[in-house]
Formats: sequence, structure tokens, C-alpha cells
Amino acid sequence: MAKLVGRPIGSRRGRDVPRIELLVVQPTPFCNIDCRYCYLPDRSSKAVVSRQTLHNLFSQVFASGWVGECLSVVWHAGEPTVLPIEFYREAFRMVDRLKPAELAVSHSFQTNGTLIDEAWCTFFREERLGVGVSIDGPKQFHDRRRLTRSGHGTFDRTIAGIRLLRRHGVPFHVISVLSAASMAVPREMFDFYVEEGIEQVCFNVEESEGDHVSESFQESGIESAYYRFLSEFWRLSAAAPGHITFIREIEHAIAQVIRPADAPFRNQLVEPFAVTSMDWAGNISTFSPELLGLKNPVYEDFILGNINRDALIDLPSRPNFIRMLADIEAGVEMCRERCQYFSVCGGGEPVNKLAENSSFASSETTYCRLIKMRGTDLVLDALERVQSRGAVGKGAVCAEVYE
Amino acid sequence: MRMSLRNKYVRILSAIAPPGAAGIALLLGSTMPSAAIRHSTSTEPLAADQSSVSERLAAIREAVLDVAKAETDVGRSKDGELRLAWGNWWRNWGGRPRGWGWPNWNNWRNWHPWNNWWRNW
Repeated sequence: MAKLVGRPIGSRRGRDVPRIELLVVQPTPFCNIDCRYCYLPDRSSKAVVSRQTLHNLFSQVFASGWVGECLSVVWHAGEPTVLPIEFYREAFRMVDRLKPAELAVSHSFQTNGTLIDEAWCTFFREERLGVGVSIDGPKQFHDRRRLTRSGHGTFDRTIAGIRLLRRHGVPFHVISVLSAASMAVPREMFDFYVEEGIEQVCFNVEESEGDHVSESFQESGIESAYYRFLSEFWRLSAAAPGHITFIREIEHAIAQVIRPADAPFRNQLVEPFAVTSMDWAGNISTFSPELLGLKNPVYEDFILGNINRDALIDLPSRPNFIRMLADIEAGVEMCRERCQYFSVCGGGEPVNKLAENSSFASSETTYCRLIKMRGTDLVLDALERVQSRGAVGKGAVCAEVYE
Repeated sequence: MRMSLRNKYVRILSAIAPPGAAGIALLLGSTMPSAAIRHSTSTEPLAADQSSVSERLAAIREAVLDVAKAETDVGRSKDGELRLAWGNWWRNWGGRPRGWGWPNWNNWRNWHPWNNWWRNW
């Protein structure tokens, strides 16, 4: 059997068994909209996961000994809100019945927001769900790529959903996919979030994944554009405290860069089963969740087994898993040897390596350069500017900022 | 070289004693040059230090330990209580809900951890 080790970065010692931290469940592949950059191949299928499949998944996960004190479950379709609320109520009660008493399970949704109504808001509040809404900024950017099946923009319905969440006091974040056009106007993006009362923002850049080839990645100067966007967005947020309270890319970069030398550091995406994904039919995969629906000439697919037929704990002995793990670990070692940013990344994203380099056993990608490297550069540059201000007496910068 | 770099970051980190996770993001964000100023100069990341990125990152991590240790010593001598500003800042990550990337920083980007978020809302 291959080594099943979630190794802390920089250490060769590790655990003996996998540790599932995030369970990505696809209740249906169906999505009510048809975004141009979507990587999901079966988003027109209206199949729905069965109760028995969910029962098999959770009962096996809880019996595996692979779960620690807490488990995050994200319902990530397709579009999860195309299913009735009662589906989730029943699923959550099933999980409650099956889970060990001491285990904390938290559920969250990633939604396009177009179907959110009063009933969904009540449900989100009652179940205390984490809610993420996908919106790409103001209408003129959002409606370029996030379209209905008949080709119309979805902005009006998405923003209506966000406004309902706010009215009902449901905490939420947004994930915005940046394009070259939206990256060029950080002030406009910032003003939009502030005007709509959006406080927690996460930025993705349109990527090459699966069959989708990113237009943004092919733009010249995309790295500089991304750096400039984040820099200006961060500056605007700092200049108007209390509006944007969380920028994921900044917060993560700060915490990765400014950490004690003895702090643990791991990359969930290269650890076997740390992120475990199941599609509606019960097929199981791990590492990057996007792998679940992909086909590939070398690996064929990335499905390790089916929860209705196979034992979860047997999946690590499957030949395709052993091959994936070996290649992913080879890629991590390449990153360790070659990349200046390895200590704040831990070996990148397998699905991006496959899409951009055609192999897990590879290192740098455009995704790395954008998200990891330029984000880290921003924090390093901010620290340089602290020094260049000459304000290196204790608390001097704090006093200056808060005056 | 390594020691001077580490000392440089000790001085910088000491100047930005952490006021909490949101506070440090605010504080560092305030150092960003405005778009207007940036367009008149360079648009590329600073290259103020000749050290490699990996050396700088390693030096920062060692400096965080140094600053945390110094603050522990000062905290104890002043009032007998342990006040470990930098160490506590990172380990608690400023009161952020658990799961906001800790300790697995390279979280999946098409999701965002929400553990315990409602308790902090």
C-alpha cells in the first residue's frame, strides 16, 4: 500500500492514517444556470443522490476512524438549491443520527444565489449554515459569463438573493471570479461590494480546468494585473475600515507569511482524503474536488470507488489511487526543490498541474503564480513599506494607522 | 546575511504589534500605494531586498518566534501574566472562526470554511 500520510510541510514525519477534514458532497450535478467557465461536465443532468447513498457515505466516513474532532461538509453541486429544502433537512438529521456524539459537523452551501427566497433564508438561519454566493462583481462583469441556459445574465436574480440574505441576517461570503476586465477596475469592484453590504470576499481567477481553457490565463500581463488589483482593493479596504472585513486572499497570505517558525503547515489538497469528494452516484475521489468529474487520457478518470459497492477504507489500496498519490507526491517534491514559495504553499493544486502541465508530477502553474506568489509578494512588499516608512519603533505603525 | 535579515523583520514586526487579525490586515493594507501613485512608478512587486523570497519567508518565521519570546519576557516582568501578542495572534488567528484556513492553508478555493462562524456573527 502507498504511504497514506498527511505530512506537515517541511517534515517527513506524518500520520499513519488519512484524516478527512472536508467532505464535498454533490447532491445533484444539475445547475439551473450555465456559466461559460464552468468545469462541471454533467450540469444538465437532473440526477439526485439517493438517501441510501448518503447513508452509505456518512456511515462509512464515521466508522472509518479517519475523522478527527470536526468535519466540514460542503454541499456543492451543480446548484444545491435546485433541490427542495426538505431534502437537506432529512440529510442533516440523518447525519446527526449517524455521527459520533463528540464529532462536530458543520454544513455549508456554495450557491449561485438565484433561487434564494424567504424559505431558504429561514432554513439557513435555523440550521446555522455557512453560505457562499458566487457573484462576479457588478452586473456588467457578472453577466458576461454567468448566464442562464437561454443566454441571459443572472446578476439581477443573484443580487436579489444576496439582498434577501442580508435582510434575514444570514452571514455569507461571496466568491468572485475575476476577469481581465474586472481586475482593471478595483475601485469599481470595491464600491460595488460596499454598496451591497458584502463584507466577506474571496477572489478566484478564471482557470483552465477540465475542458475549460481559461481566457484570463492567456492574457499577457495577467500576473501584474492581479497584483495591482489586490493591492488597490486592499488599500481601499484599509482606508475605509468596517466595510470589507475579510479578503480571503489577503488574510490567507498574511497568515501564511507571518507565522512562527515552529507552526504546523500543511497543504490539504495534496493530502490523501483530507478533502474527500462524492458525486450524486456515490463515486469517491480525493485531492482536488474538481477531479471527480474529469476524464484524462493518462489516468482515464479519478474515481477511486463507489460508496455503494466499495469500502471507503479499501480505496487507498486501489491502483489508480497509488498512481495518483505517487505522481502528486513527485510534484510536491519538485515544488519543494524548485519553488521559492514552497514554505507558504506546500506543493500547489493537483488539478491545476494536470490542466496546465498535463501531469501531477510537475511544479509551477499560472494558478501558483497568481494566487500563491503574487499574494505572498503583496505581504512581503507591505512589510518592506513598514520599514521604509521608518516607523520601526514598537507600536509606531499601529499608532499611525489608528490615529 | 540570514541574521541581519531576521533582525530586520524583528524590527518590522515589533513595529506592528498585532491588534488582531483584522487589525493587521488593515494596518498592512494602509501601506499599499494608491493606484495613482503606483501608475506613475513601477507596477511590479517591490524588489527592495536582494535576499531570495525563500530566505525572506524563513527569516520572517524566525522573527515571529523572536518577537513572541521577547513579548513573553516583557509581559511576565510587567504584570506576571503571560501576554504573548504575536504567538497568540497567530495561534488564535485573531479570533477568526476556526477553520478559516488553519492549519491547512491551501484550502480549496471553490469553497470557504465557515466553521463556528455563526457563533461569531
